[in-house]
Amino acid sequence: MTEERLNELARKLGTRAAERVDVEATARRVVERLREQPVRRPIWVQATWLRIAAAVVILVGGAFTLRQIWPGATPDDHVTYFIADDLGDLSTDELRTLLTSFDQIIAESVVPDSTSDLQELDAQQLRELLREG
Amino acid sequence: MANPLPRTELPPDAELIAAWQGGDEQAAAELVERHARPLARYLAGAGAPEAELDDLVQETFIRAFRGVDRFRGHCQFRTWLLTIGGNVLKDFGRRSARTRVMPLDEGVRDGAGDPHDHAVASEAETLLAEGLKLLSRLQREVFLLRAQQGLEYEEIAAALATTPGAARVHYHHAVRRLKEIVQ
Repeated sequence: MTEERLNELARKLGTRAAERVDVEATARRVVERLREQPVRRPIWVQATWLRIAAAVVILVGGAFTLRQIWPGATPDDHVTYFIADDLGDLSTDELRTLLTSFDQIIAESVVPDSTSDLQELDAQQLRELLREG
Repeated sequence: MANPLPRTELPPDAELIAAWQGGDEQAAAELVERHARPLARYLAGAGAPEAELDDLVQETFIRAFRGVDRFRGHCQFRTWLLTIGGNVLKDFGRRSARTRVMPLDEGVRDGAGDPHDHAVASEAETLLAEGLKLLSRLQREVFLLRAQQGLEYEEIAAALATTPGAARVHYHHAVRRLKEIVQ
C-alpha cells in the first residue's frame, strides 16, 4: 500500500454519504434556523459591559469602605488615637505644646487661628478640645 | 471601445460572509450550498454516522455563522468550517456516549445507508475508515485535511493552530499507522 493509494482511498471516503445530502434543503434549513434564533451579539456585549461596570463599582466601593473602617488607615488617625489615649497624663503646658504640634502636623488648615487662643484655655478645656479634634 | 466581459466568476467567500453579516440571508444560503458537500465528506470520513450527517452539517453551519466574527481570514473559510465540523462531531460523540443512542464508531461501518452501496465499497476503503478511528483526533484531522481535502500544510497549520512542520509530522504518523492497518 503506497501513500498515493492511501490518498486515493481517502479522496473517495465519504463521497457516497455526502452525495445524499440535499444541499439546497440544508441551506434552507440553516437560514430558517438562523432566522428563528438570531445572533444576539448586542445583548452579549451589553451584558459584558454591565458585568465590567459592576466589578469596577464593587472594587472601588470596597476599597473606599475599607479605607473608612480600617483602623490606622492614615497617619493622621494614628496621631489622633495616641493623643486621645494619653491626654489624662499630660500637664497644661504639655497639652498646649502638643496641641500646637498637632495643629502644625495635621490641622493647620482646619484650625488656623486656634493657637492664638490656647493661652486662655485651662487644662480641662484643652483636653476637651483635643478629644473633639 | 470593447464591451466589458460579463462577470461570470463566483463572489469570493469573504464577500458572501460580509453580505451575511450585513443581513443578507441569500449569502448565507450560497455559502452553505458551496461548502455543504465537502463538509459532509469530511464529517463522514471522520466517522459521522450517515443517518446524522444532515444534522451535523446543519449544526456546523449554524455554529460557523454565529461565530463568524471570530473568523479572521487566517485560513480559507472552508478550512475553518471543517475544523468547526470536527468540534461538532466530537460533541456529538460525547452526547452519543452519554445517551447510548449510537456509538460514533458505528457510523461509517454500518449506518443507515443503502446496503448495496456498502457492499460495493471496497474492502480497503472500509479498512481505511476503520483505521482512521484508531488515530488520535489531531492525526485524523490532519490526514483528512491533507489527503481527502487536498490542503497544504500551511493551511492545515493555520486552521488547527499549529505549525506546518507539526502538521507534516502528524500526517506522516497517520500515514504510517494507516498503511499498517490497511495492509
